Amino acid sequence: MFRVVLYGQWKWSRIVVILGTIAGFALPILSVQGTTNDPTSAMKAGELLSVIQSWGVLYPVLAAAIGLLVAIATWAPDHRGRHVLALSLPLPRWRYVLLRFTAGLVLLVPAMLGVLAGAVLASATAALPPGLETYPVALAIRFALALGVAYAVFFAISAGTTRTAGIILGLIGAVIVVQVVASAAGIELDLTSPFLAVVMNLPGPLAIFTGRWMLIDV
Amino acid sequence: MSDRLPATCFAVVLALCAPLAGQIAELRARADSLLVEWQLAKQFADLQDSLRLARERGGRDTIRVGALVFLVNRSPLPLREAAATAWPQIERFYGPAAQAFAQRPFLIQAVDPDTNEDVPPGWAIKILWNTEVAPLARALITIADLGPLDPALRDWLGGVVVPRFDSGPGHAEVYIQLVTAPSQAAQRCYRGDRAACRDALSLSDMTDPATRWYGPDERRALAAMEFDSPFAGARRREQAAHACEQGSDSICLELLRALPPGRLPPPLDYQARLTLLETAVRVGGAGTFQRFLATPAGPMGSRLAAAARVSEDSLIERWRNDVLAARPTPVPLPVLGAWVALGWIVVFGTCGLRSSRWRVS
Repeated sequence: MFRVVLYGQWKWSRIVVILGTIAGFALPILSVQGTTNDPTSAMKAGELLSVIQSWGVLYPVLAAAIGLLVAIATWAPDHRGRHVLALSLPLPRWRYVLLRFTAGLVLLVPAMLGVLAGAVLASATAALPPGLETYPVALAIRFALALGVAYAVFFAISAGTTRTAGIILGLIGAVIVVQVVASAAGIELDLTSPFLAVVMNLPGPLAIFTGRWMLIDV
Repeated sequence: MSDRLPATCFAVVLALCAPLAGQIAELRARADSLLVEWQLAKQFADLQDSLRLARERGGRDTIRVGALVFLVNRSPLPLREAAATAWPQIERFYGPAAQAFAQRPFLIQAVDPDTNEDVPPGWAIKILWNTEVAPLARALITIADLGPLDPALRDWLGGVVVPRFDSGPGHAEVYIQLVTAPSQAAQRCYRGDRAACRDALSLSDMTDPATRWYGPDERRALAAMEFDSPFAGARRREQAAHACEQGSDSICLELLRALPPGRLPPPLDYQARLTLLETAVRVGGAGTFQRFLATPAGPMGSRLAAAARVSEDSLIERWRNDVLAARPTPVPLPVLGAWVALGWIVVFGTCGLRSSRWRVS
């Protein structure tokens, strides 16, 4: 059963998986293009760290994009078919959803391996100034976790009803509206900062996305 | 004819200078009167300062902890407790020299945190009276600066002497500087070249820092940065833009040498120098600072080494080892963050399992 579900999801999301894997493989390699053994044109350690940090912004973006697209692709055919296939199968609902979730996670593995392979290759070929080191495995693990979180978040949203999505979006919108109105009225009320702090700082769900994503560091 | 010429010239000069002599006397009289006026004004200014100081000191409590003396207005500020926490560390750092604080009272103005009134101006150090003991003790350690006793030390440091021993984060900051500073001296120091460390920390006589600190590429970048300003002269900007950036190291050097003293940025900053001082005190023990003040003027490296009772090389090696040992932990994957992320994957996955989306009507 799992293989059938996995095959179906692969057909629906293969473009995303393939492009995501290529992008994940290329990103670390592109980020170390400035390193060279030629001392006349080699980047200084500070410059190199700055470049690596700039490229590092793209890892969480890529993880979020792949997670979103794979999660949407996981549920889109079911939504289009009004869940007739799911209801016709002799499976309890939770088991069907678990199969879909697991199959989606399996489809994320190529992108994770792409980043790992790219990071290892980039680390092996980069000529580093003294004092700097590479962290390919740590970066790949972090990317995998971010990918997993993004996928799980969007999977849960996609699996929910339109009403649930409406409630979540409505709450977020209400916070923003109250903040704007309070600012316009000159009232000292800061709702967005505590909200962002809860979501983006540990142990918030998006904490894995924040901070520096460094393939090379001191 | 030729014998008469010098005498004629002398007579002409005398004739020309006669009225000038009168003017010089008049100018001197006016300058003297200006001096009197200036002295009078200075006396008034001093009187005003002492009156203001007396007003600030008036109605204040005196708190003594060790050699520390505080003049502070009445408030719930836990100054005595904080000073009792800070004093042992200050005494451990400065040793017998810490007794100098007895002659240098701190003027503290405890400020009400809830008031909207303006804080009165003056020399007093303003502190909110609801500050807790630990941060207040840290603040007292920071202001316990005996740098003014040795202007050369203060100039070399480029800031205040902070009597601290727990500068793990400070050493980590210096580690990052050693690795990333665009200076060949700093990079050679990182690789173990003690002479380069001496240069990077300005421990010896620095007659030409531009060559001792930086290589040709670094000098080119620095010159471009320093002279890319409307305040730099037009000719120099032109040179920087063309000859130096085109690769003429001699022009770059000329530009950097033309900078005012102290303008050329050192590769290792105040933090690095403060950690070296801290290492010297740790190596030499409690009497180090006192011995340092007693050493004759000279290069800072030899003074610090003499005060710490070790050779300059071993002091530098010790400092470098401290810095390398404080290598900051790389940040790519915090362990707690990994577990938290796994937890959220499970949580959101479970939310998906409980969805009711496919209960279509």
